[in-house]
Amino acid sequence: MNVSTMTENHNKGARTRAFDQAPGNAWKAWIPALLVLFAIPLLLAGNPFYIHLAVLICLNIIFVNGLALINRTGQLSFCHAAFMGMGAYAAVICTVRFQTPFLISVSAGVAVSMLAAYLLGAVILRLQGVYFVLVTFCFGELFRLVMLEGGDITGGANGIANIPPARLFGFTFDSKLSFYVLAAACAFLSIVFLIALFKTPKGNSLDAVGDNPDLAEASGISIQGSQTFAFVLGSAFAGFSGALLAHYLGFVSPESFNQHISVAAIIMLVIGGRGSVLGPILGALIMTPLPELFRSAIETQNIMYGITLILVLKFLPMGLVGIGAKLRGKKGQP
Amino acid sequence: MIRLRAFGDTAVDFTFLIGQALTNGLIIGLLYLLMAIGFTLVFGVMRVVNFAHGEFYMLGAFSAYVCVTKLQLPFLAAVLATFILTLVLGWIIEVVVMKGFRGEELNGMIATIGLAMILQNGALMIFGPDPQSMPAVAEGVVSLGPVMLPMSRLYVVAFSLVVLVLLYGFLMHSKGGRALRAVVQDIEIANAQGIRSQFMYPLGFGIGVALAAVAGALMAPVFSVSPSIGSTPLLKAFIVVILGGLGSIPGAALAALLLGVFESVANPFMSSSFSDMLLFGFVILMLIFRPSGLLGKAGR
Repeated sequence: MNVSTMTENHNKGARTRAFDQAPGNAWKAWIPALLVLFAIPLLLAGNPFYIHLAVLICLNIIFVNGLALINRTGQLSFCHAAFMGMGAYAAVICTVRFQTPFLISVSAGVAVSMLAAYLLGAVILRLQGVYFVLVTFCFGELFRLVMLEGGDITGGANGIANIPPARLFGFTFDSKLSFYVLAAACAFLSIVFLIALFKTPKGNSLDAVGDNPDLAEASGISIQGSQTFAFVLGSAFAGFSGALLAHYLGFVSPESFNQHISVAAIIMLVIGGRGSVLGPILGALIMTPLPELFRSAIETQNIMYGITLILVLKFLPMGLVGIGAKLRGKKGQP
Repeated sequence: MIRLRAFGDTAVDFTFLIGQALTNGLIIGLLYLLMAIGFTLVFGVMRVVNFAHGEFYMLGAFSAYVCVTKLQLPFLAAVLATFILTLVLGWIIEVVVMKGFRGEELNGMIATIGLAMILQNGALMIFGPDPQSMPAVAEGVVSLGPVMLPMSRLYVVAFSLVVLVLLYGFLMHSKGGRALRAVVQDIEIANAQGIRSQFMYPLGFGIGVALAAVAGALMAPVFSVSPSIGSTPLLKAFIVVILGGLGSIPGAALAALLLGVFESVANPFMSSSFSDMLLFGFVILMLIFRPSGLLGKAGR
């Protein structure tokens, strides 16, 4: 036996254990906990900076939730930011050029991301592991270049500015606090949606494909079908967060959706934890404020990121969420 | 200059244009080759896509810069020192950081992202963000018929060729090289034959990143040196290695030269971001229809 198979088995063991220890009704306890968490920023309403951070955390939760969904079928997407960008650009072009209402613009953004993910997924999802990573990396770069060369439609390197704020049912979300309420509601719904999804047989089949594709296929689950489903849905999450972000910041440019954003999402996912709904939330919650709070020592902070990433991969392959399971696992085993 | 000439006598200038583009392309291609061989060697040995490869290019450039401007070493000694230093550094990093991720494709790859962040920001702290420039290795221009070649580029060619020949000799005709190739081909059989893979992992990683560093050291006098210079060579290495087939050295050689020539020939006719777009489109098609690369065997 070589080293690689042993570590793989070990990881799989850790993964199933984490699932087993999440009892079926635990979510009943932490949905109220989440509501309390989302309410905390409302108490800090006096400080616009904290509200700004809270908005970014909410949008990142939606964004990373999408990546987590794709990852649970065993694929790591390196072009997640491209789908965020697609949603953002499509929504903004609708809003600015065609003056469509906010809701229509966002729907259009999500639809464009989903369609692109479906078309791309149909051809690239038969690639596995590193090959999938590389092809998505190239696609992300291609997307950035296309936006850069998009001329009047995308605004080239300057992007599109002066995007009007979100407007829903006659109410304009033009203050940070009002937008936070919108973003928090969306983030909360995305979490509830994922919890619900992973309670259904469809959700279980996604996990099955991620854990052991051969076994899943032998049990009659389509690998390609499950991965396409997750890729399209996960990219829709990304497009949705992009459309919201564009209307919040009032500005989009190709560099808002470059490889660094995709990598940041992967870092949040890995540090928070793959394979559970809580992981992406934890990752976004911890990793979003750090760069904003430590702007003065950006190098030191990036080095700390790198070290944390490696340490988490080494000792907590299931992410920070895995700490509890790891401790319990140690206690439970002779 | 090329554009101006193109308005003159078309027949003569067309051959000139192509001749110049081909030569430039081969020079750049050699450099891509150094990057890509290291990259594919690391992948071949460890099955890990090394996202920190560009940072070793950057470290190599800084190492040459410090050796030449601060320590007053001759360029040859600077390149040699760079190779040895990064080989040792790569060996240590493999043992300390990458050891737990051998053969683990995805986690290993994410770990190299962390490594890249550490290296790049470390360089930023030490050297600052401003680009530094290094004196040219040689002055003057050599003309081959209508084709002009700056001496500084010829130096790069000569050095790259020497490095490639040495690498070829090591891989094909030494015990260590044979063992390394055996590990690339099949780790389990290599182990069964008594090859000590615990040495081969750090050796493969060390040589791989040292080749990237040598590429950086050779380019340091031609371009400027700053902590962010690693990303473009990394992207090129990606493209070359995908086109050539992950883990295939002959494939990387062919793809690197083709890429260099394509870029140089395309340069007068289209913007660089448009040619990049074509390239990425082509690479995606290649991954979909022939993931084993230009020379790779189908299926693995």
